[in-house]
This record gives sequence, C-alpha cells and structure tokens, in this order.
Amino acid sequence: MSKATVELPPKGGFNFDLCRRNDMLTKNGVHAPSFLKTGTTIVGLVFQDGVVLGADTRATEGPIVADKNCEKIHYMAPNIYCCGAGTAADTENVTDMISSQLLLHRYATGRESRVVTALTLLKTHLFGYQGHVSAALVLGGVDITGPHLHTIYPHGSTDTLPFATMGSGSLAAMAIFESKYREGLTFNLVYCAFVEIPQRDEGVKLVTEAICSGIFNDLGSGSNVDVCVITKGKVEYLRNHQKPNPRTYISSKGFSFLKGQTEVLSTKVTLLEKPQQEEGVDKMEE
Amino acid sequence: MDLNLDAPHSMGTTIIGVTYDGGVVLGADSRTSTGMYVANRASDKITQLTDNVYLCRSGSAADTQIISDYVRYFLDQHTIQLGQPATVKVAANLIRLLSYQNKNMLQAGMIVGGWDKYVGGQIYSVPLGGTILQQPFSIGGSGSSYLYGFMDQSWKEGMSKDEAEKLVVKAVSLAIARDGASGGVVRTVTINSEGVERKFYPGDSLPLWHEELASVNSLLDLLPEPMST
Amino acid sequence: MSITFSNNIEALIFISLFLTIVPWAEKIFEYNGSAIVAMVGKNCFAIASDRRLGVQLQTVATDFQRIYKIHDKLYIGLAGLATDAQTLHQRLVFRHNLYQLREERNMKPETFASLVSAVLYEKRFGPYFCQPVIAGLGEKDEPFICTMDSIGAKELAKDFVVGGTASESLYGACESMYKPNMEPEELFETISQALLASVDRDCLSGWGGHVIVVTPTEVTERKLKGRMD
Repeated sequence: MSKATVELPPKGGFNFDLCRRNDMLTKNGVHAPSFLKTGTTIVGLVFQDGVVLGADTRATEGPIVADKNCEKIHYMAPNIYCCGAGTAADTENVTDMISSQLLLHRYATGRESRVVTALTLLKTHLFGYQGHVSAALVLGGVDITGPHLHTIYPHGSTDTLPFATMGSGSLAAMAIFESKYREGLTFNLVYCAFVEIPQRDEGVKLVTEAICSGIFNDLGSGSNVDVCVITKGKVEYLRNHQKPNPRTYISSKGFSFLKGQTEVLSTKVTLLEKPQQEEGVDKMEE
Repeated sequence: MDLNLDAPHSMGTTIIGVTYDGGVVLGADSRTSTGMYVANRASDKITQLTDNVYLCRSGSAADTQIISDYVRYFLDQHTIQLGQPATVKVAANLIRLLSYQNKNMLQAGMIVGGWDKYVGGQIYSVPLGGTILQQPFSIGGSGSSYLYGFMDQSWKEGMSKDEAEKLVVKAVSLAIARDGASGGVVRTVTINSEGVERKFYPGDSLPLWHEELASVNSLLDLLPEPMST
Repeated sequence: MSITFSNNIEALIFISLFLTIVPWAEKIFEYNGSAIVAMVGKNCFAIASDRRLGVQLQTVATDFQRIYKIHDKLYIGLAGLATDAQTLHQRLVFRHNLYQLREERNMKPETFASLVSAVLYEKRFGPYFCQPVIAGLGEKDEPFICTMDSIGAKELAKDFVVGGTASESLYGACESMYKPNMEPEELFETISQALLASVDRDCLSGWGGHVIVVTPTEVTERKLKGRMD
C-alpha cells in the first residue's frame, strides 16, 4: 500500500519539516547561519497634510555589507507605504503578504485602503508569531481620515506618534527628531499633545537629517537616503534622495584582463535557437 | 549600557483606578520602554472599550493591545445583541476570561473602570494570573509598589469628582518620581453618569516631590546660544 | 497539509555520521565549502562557481556541480550545505516543470527569483542551509542577477552578486575588478579572475572553476584550471 509521494505546491503557511533536523544540528554544535538583516535606520514624520517616511539603504549579513543600495520603504497600497527593519526576509514577506490582503480588500469593498486596516493586519500577523517573525515597521499613509503614522514592533505592539524611528539607528535618528521637533503652540487632538506640525519641505529636510544621523553614527546603517512623501492623492517616492557616500576609490580605467589569460581546461559552446516565428498559426481575430 | 532594543515592548507602568461619589477616575503615566530605551514617551495606556468602559493596561504592550482589541470587538457585538450598553462587569469579565484562559502566554495586568446605570461607577482589577477583583480603588504596574501606603491613607469613601481626580494625578506623579519605568505625562479619564472626560497633565505641570528637579524642554535650552544648523 | 520527510532522511544520516567523527563543526555553511559569483555584462551575464566538495577540511570531490540549469537562459547556483542544495534544486526543477506545463513557456528570471524566495521563506523557521545565486536573461534578453539568504530575502543588484564561504573575498575582488558593460569575452576573464583570486584565500573552496557565459545567442561553458591545494 504505497502512498503517492508527489509533493504538491503548498497552499500557504510555514513548513516546519526541517526544524527537527536543524535542532539536531544545533545540538551537535553546528550553528545555523545568520540571516540577512537590515541593521537599519528608518523614520517617519507627520507634516501638515501628509507623512514623510525615510530609510537608509544598507543591508548587512553579520559584519558584511550585503547590499549597498537596497530598498527598505515597501509598498503597501497606493496611499500607504511601510519602512522595514529587522530580518530582511521577514520585512519583505510580511509587507508583501499584507499588501496583497489589502488589494483583495479593496476589490471587495471598492474603497481606498485605510492605514488602520494595514496596521491591524500587520499587528495580528506579528502577534501570532510571538516575535519570531522579526519585523519592526514604521507604517505611514494618508486615507479618508487624514495622515497617519504608526510604529509596529516584532511582538505585535503598536504606537501612534507624530514622529517615529526604528532599527539600530533609531537612537541617533530620534536624537535629531527630539531636538529639532520643537514644542509649539498647536494642540493636536490625535496625539493629545502640543506639537508644531511642520511643512512638507521642512519635513523632508528633518527626515533626511535624521537618516543621515543614523548613517553616520550607527554602523548598521549606511549608504544613501530614501524618502517617501505621501499626501492626499499623491505619492513621491524619492529613491536615493541624498547620496552622502559616493564611491571614490575606483580608478577611471578599471582593471582590464587580456583575452585568454585565464587557464581554461575545456570549453563547450551551445548555440541557442532563436525563438521561431510561429507561422501558419491562425492569428487571433476579433 | 545594555539598551536591549530587541526586548519585547513592555509598559513598566503606573496605572490607577479610583471610585468616587458618582463615578470613577482612571489614571496612567505615558512611558513605554524596550529594555532601557523609552520607545514612546507619550503613549496612551487608557484604552476605550465601550462608550462607558475604559481599560488601564500594564505589562506587555503587544499582549494588552490584543486583549483590548478582542474585548472591544466582543463588547461591540454584545451591545448590538443587547440593544443597550454593556455593563462594566461584563467588560471586566471578558478581560478576565481572556487573561485566565491564556495565562501561560500573556503578561498583562489590567484595571477596568466604568459606569453603568445598574451599579454606578466600578473598578475591577485583573492582575497577572487572570483573577478578577472588584475594589473601591486599585493600583497596578511597576510604579504601584510605591503607592500602596499612600493610597491606603488618602483614599476616602464618598470623595467628590475633583478630589478623586486630584488624588489620581498626585498618586501617578508620586510614582513617576520614584519609579524609573514610569514617566512622561499623566493622563486621566473620568467616567460618570454625565459621560466621559479625558484630561492631560504635561510632565512640567506636575508637582515636584522630594529633591526632584524641574524638567527642561530641551538640553539645547541650557546652552548659552542656540546651536545653529 | 502533507508531511514530506522522505527528502531529508538521507541528509540526516549523512550529516550525523560526519558529525560524530568531527564534532568541532562550527558553521553549517562551512561544512562543504563553496564560492559562487554572477556578473552582468552588456546584454549578457556570467555565473561561476568553484568545483570543490569537501567535508570540512577534507576534499571529497573536485568536479562538483553547484550551478544548475533551469532553462537555456536561466541558471541558479546554490552555495551552502550540498545535501540541501540538491534537494532544493529538485524542488525548484519540479516547480518550474509544473509552470512550463501550465503556461507553455519558460519562467522569467524575476518570476523564478520570487519562486525561490517563496520556497525558502516557507521554511522560515527550519531553513534549507542554502544561499542561492540566480542569473538569467529576461524576455528582451536583458540580464538579471540576484542572490538571497537562506530564508529568501532577495537582494537584487545591477552589477554582481556573490555567495558561499568565499563571499567575503569575492566581494572585495568583484568590487575592484568589475566594470559596467563588458563584452562576453572580457566578462569571462573578469569573473574568472575574480573567482580564482578569491578562492585562493578560502580554504574551503577552490579546485578550479566552472564558468557559464550566456548571451542571447549562445551559452559558453568553461572549466577553469586552478590551484589544487
């Protein structure tokens, strides 16, 4: 009585098949590899009629810089974006998953997604995995109820703030926000606090400064500044808004190797067929 | 210094609920910390459950937020089915139910307070294991250990609304002064037959206790000249 | 959900055997040793790997294939634990075959990268110990390269990507040797020199190289001579 052993593509969810083996390996003193992390500075800020999100662009794997110009501001919905810090695979997959759920929700309701919807979906997902899915997020967007900014921690707790920072560079960035975001006269009902709400350009400048503070003072953050400005009905994704670390050490000519310098043992050349024009097939007619 | 930014978000907190003649006053500080880092210095730990019931949260931020989300959802359904506002007891009992059934996975100490037409103002405390206690006043969180004696001495039967509010602010500010894990501002919620009133006391408006120094808005204010950028 | 264990049982026995012999195994990625690199040229790409298969410091095979063909213009190199690399490759071929049957066309490199990422992330809490390096030509023969960590965090690059135990030295070599818009011949020389220079500084990889250069019209596969120590 043999069962069919054809492994069909899974329907979804995690698969824990290799856990027992990997535990055994760990017990035998073999350490599991480190994952790609985004030792990161990500920030967000509310301004007069929208939000500004910011991120650095360094991805690290232990002490190695794995990617010098990665994207950490993820798309959630046309009016909502999300900065991710923590394990790269987790931030990428969590935001992608929730983004697709939001799209289906928009199809079902025919309405623009709300930031709180994204927030609730993200926090319930992360809470369910009790911090094992290590994604620390700064979620920002503008919906029918106005601009919103939230932070979400890996364990599933959330905060609503006028300015927020996350990642290893969060302290450096928060230092900038705390010193330059001066207490003012406007009493904001959403935050129940006195907060002076800046204008767009001021907001972008402050966010850039906060990210730069992370880039230069935190070893886990580096390279360039990405900024995303979301206002009602408009998104400006300013990829590499500032490049404070240009490459300087390359020679103008670069290395050049002579042909045939490498010792080759064998060569095999395979010609690829040109994709044939399908003749004699009826063209589709209306 | 071990900042431990990976630590789960927890609210080393001072929360308090007090009954008075005609209603209840809830109070809380506003500090949320991850390890040694203050992740949010103006958080709102007094969450609305229904029109007339509020909840003070302490412990893990994630756990208490999820509990309050569920309970709010259950109470909304309950209110629709009943056709009238849920009682405070029902709300407190739902909190207790979730707290008790998932006690192994949760780290949450909560104080439920509210007003209903049957009993009036009530405070229920739901501490860590998921017990429920109705009390004339209740304190919770890490800052509460500094307050037991004070509250035993100061709370009196039949206080006025004003007296109760003053007591709550005083208690939270005392705890903020002594407890490192509590801080920021004081938020209060007063619930009675009239409705709900929220109040906000900024950190620099709080009384200064023994040897406390007045707060400064920014370190930059101490410099002889403002730093130019 | 079906539980699929059969694939990994051999792996279990295989590894546990060696582990008892050499109990000081440190990192699982360093068990077999590997070096993989992919580079983009002008309308072409090259992917190269070393040929050594070791069990820690003992060399077991010197003609090991780490680069697998998915279709004529799409290749994947799998660094890391060889047993997992082979299992993963089988699953990827299976999924690609299903795609071909359903869609009657080959996968685009971007699609394939997403597939690999999904297959790896499914095992987020019990990963395959593999680091994939994907290189392919797209629909309009534009080159695509990408690498991932063992749980599928995609890292797209316009110039080069590296993987394996020699990745540190490969980063350095490629960072200085790479130039944009190289013709296939020069691309071959550059990637080969980068690979050979890097594996000479890595005990766990080496024994020559295996380089595949793909242009829109032809695939050139070369075996390189390298140090045999």
